[in-house]
Amino acid sequence: MIDALFQPFIEFAFMRRALVGCLIISMTAPPIGVFLVLRRMSLMGDAMGHAILPGAAIGYLLAGLSLFAMSLGGFAAGLAVALAAGLVARSTVLREDASLAGFYLVSLALGVMLISARGSNVDLLHLLFGTVLALDDAALILIAAIATVSLTALAVIYRPLVLECFDPQFLRSVSPLSSTTHLLFLVLVVLNLVAGFQALGTLMAVGIMLLPAVAARFWVEDVAGMIGVAVGAAFVASFTGLLLSYQADVPTGPAVILCCGAFYFLSILVGVKGGIIWGLMPRKHLEA
Amino acid sequence: MRAAKASAPAISFHDLTLGYDRHPAVHHITGDIVRGNLLALVGPNGAGKSTLLKAIVGELRPLSGSLDLHGLTKRDVAYLPQVIEIDRSFPISVFDCVAMGLWRKIGAWRGLGRRGREEVVQALETVGLAALANRPVGSLSGGQFQRVLFARLLLQDASVILLDEPFRAIDTKTVEELVALIERWHGEGRTVLAALHDIDQVRAHFPHVLLLAREVVAWGDTKKVLTPASLAKSRQLTEAFHAHAHVCERNDEAERAIA
Amino acid sequence: MRRHLAYSLALALAVLFGLSGAASADNKLKAVASFSVLGDVVKQVGGERVEVTTLVGPNGDAHVFNPTPATAKLLASADIFFVNGFGFEGWMERLEKSSGFKGEVVVASKGVTPLTMGEENGHHQDDHGDAHDEGGDEVPDPHAWQSLANGKIYVANIRDGLIAADPEGKADYEENATKYLAAIDAEEAAVKVAIAKLPPERRRIITSHDAFGYLADAYGLEVISPEGVSTESEASAQDVAMIIRQIREEQIPAVFFENVTDRRLLDQIARETGAKIGGVLYSDALSKADGPAPTYLGMFRHNIGALSAALSS
Repeated sequence: MIDALFQPFIEFAFMRRALVGCLIISMTAPPIGVFLVLRRMSLMGDAMGHAILPGAAIGYLLAGLSLFAMSLGGFAAGLAVALAAGLVARSTVLREDASLAGFYLVSLALGVMLISARGSNVDLLHLLFGTVLALDDAALILIAAIATVSLTALAVIYRPLVLECFDPQFLRSVSPLSSTTHLLFLVLVVLNLVAGFQALGTLMAVGIMLLPAVAARFWVEDVAGMIGVAVGAAFVASFTGLLLSYQADVPTGPAVILCCGAFYFLSILVGVKGGIIWGLMPRKHLEA
Repeated sequence: MRAAKASAPAISFHDLTLGYDRHPAVHHITGDIVRGNLLALVGPNGAGKSTLLKAIVGELRPLSGSLDLHGLTKRDVAYLPQVIEIDRSFPISVFDCVAMGLWRKIGAWRGLGRRGREEVVQALETVGLAALANRPVGSLSGGQFQRVLFARLLLQDASVILLDEPFRAIDTKTVEELVALIERWHGEGRTVLAALHDIDQVRAHFPHVLLLAREVVAWGDTKKVLTPASLAKSRQLTEAFHAHAHVCERNDEAERAIA
Repeated sequence: MRRHLAYSLALALAVLFGLSGAASADNKLKAVASFSVLGDVVKQVGGERVEVTTLVGPNGDAHVFNPTPATAKLLASADIFFVNGFGFEGWMERLEKSSGFKGEVVVASKGVTPLTMGEENGHHQDDHGDAHDEGGDEVPDPHAWQSLANGKIYVANIRDGLIAADPEGKADYEENATKYLAAIDAEEAAVKVAIAKLPPERRRIITSHDAFGYLADAYGLEVISPEGVSTESEASAQDVAMIIRQIREEQIPAVFFENVTDRRLLDQIARETGAKIGGVLYSDALSKADGPAPTYLGMFRHNIGALSAALSS
């Protein structure tokens, strides 16, 4: 049994690389997802995933399937949308969700138009869906670099970020860091989506960011704990998804995300904090 | 901690007008709040009490006129807004929430340290919440959460403390305990400014009152200010914005501070 | 009386001019071909009399082509539309309907005996995550042009289609077709010679998708691919693993990219197995005019050349 679990990874280098790539992403994306969820910005993550598209398209148009060009393009586009949305939200009557919706939809339409101009091209379609089985050295290095930067930055802004989610007015009153923290957080969201889309495509990269985070809420009740659970869940989902793709002959990206989804459903049902099943079973209350 | 000059101002208003989208919420306020004052901000709904507090803490820019904090920075001012703006469902423990009050000392990165931990525990004991330190804030009652916020204020150790309706929907016992805390702060020489709706509370505990009804109605000793006449006047002054108001021409020169 | 005569004369002259105009060389037959390989063959057979426009151009992927309003407009003004058939152009019906095309549709592969997924060499037998493969039915492999013998059938169908649409050009079309068929024969002979030179155990390659079934079947090669018959499907880890295993066990010597697919997966496979990267093969589309495979026969020359070079050493 143990053999069946590990044998594919022992035998094939591409499986090992795919696993390494997914594990790195599982370390860096879910913590960002936790904060997105806590700030009620979950759908914003999805919007940012779409906002990246024209940037990657431009990178592709200029330099072909170049990792550097597409990542840079994607990052620039995502950042532009995030910053523009944030700026508009802070200095006009529009709130963040509305301003982001405005910008990301424009970005998405632009992306689609650019792709159509080049004719339908299967390379770009693979971009949308990712090729975790084809991660080469350059891609792995990029993902690892992004993970390092992201985790470091997150550690540095952890406290202001928590405060910004919980009581933004208090943060504004004690520190000038409030705007910077917010913008830096958006940058991290974009960075992680760029990392994720190498392996899982733009559509699925958001999945590994958000699904474990959403599920974590059913198991622990503090931020650090949620991050831990989310990362752990993503690890397990990566491993299981790859194994599933191997044993059951299904595409890899979706398999990983579906495993995340399975954990989500499991959490809703039996999660220690608020799982449906506990509500249905009467339990004696505590003394105090 | 007595102030060196008892009558030195902590906050000064010069013909201050505050509002939203050119409609003033607060009109032509001029006066000084003296250091060490325990001042209640009183007035009917829409009088501009929250607006004034927001301006002092820097959340709002004046439409005209100015506000002078006499060298105090944001860090010297502790502000307790109306509770609605905080996300109670956020998974943070009572302890961690209160610990945020030590931001001035630990900033964004430094650890709490043993001293810090002890201070937090101390603050929790002062408000009677030591037993609930590890509970998530979402599981607390209204009164308990208010105490958490006061504990946080305690740790902020600020020279100016602004409270916006701190006792709204709070049980009497908690109110008593928190009033005691306010009086302790007053005793330490801190300037405390509290917007309140309960006139009896004000009469019982606050020596000074600023009666506001979008403009200053009366400002000074509680007994002199809270007369039936001035209270009636404050109720008369309009609450709503005029949709088609004229541009305000009034030039207010009379000093109304009787500090 | 004189006025009536004048009018009738004018009318007769007008009619004559109109008729002669219709027969003049300026009015070429407007043909649309679905993809570049077909476009080239139509050009060869049609010659001067036909103006050919191709929908899916060089290096384009017809499996995932998405017609636009411009495409519909193009088709609407065409006289004749050449398609491959066998499900290659999944978008064809939609396009025909939306463009209101009233001309003839000529299926170039009419009369070709198709290979199906199960029959082909080297493709593993279990059900693929293939877009066309539903419920285990046998799906025809559309890439029939990869066998030159089928290519000759294409030429015949195209010639007949052109004659039907433009009977006046019958002599031209037949002459062009005969010349081209001879060229195809010559190329086929060359192909067979080249393959015969390769040692039998080295006549096997890996490419991205199952585009070369007919080539393999006609000329004795074994072609294995991770992606199945359409580029639309995504490879699973099992697919990739089986290919790697097969390469290792059977010592398959070379891996070839295609001009219409993502190279990264093949790169990975080549790296892991140590198989040689043999270069680019042209499968579903020709190259640009200045590239190595700008015509149908040119494509064969290039492909066989690349195969020989990689497999002979």
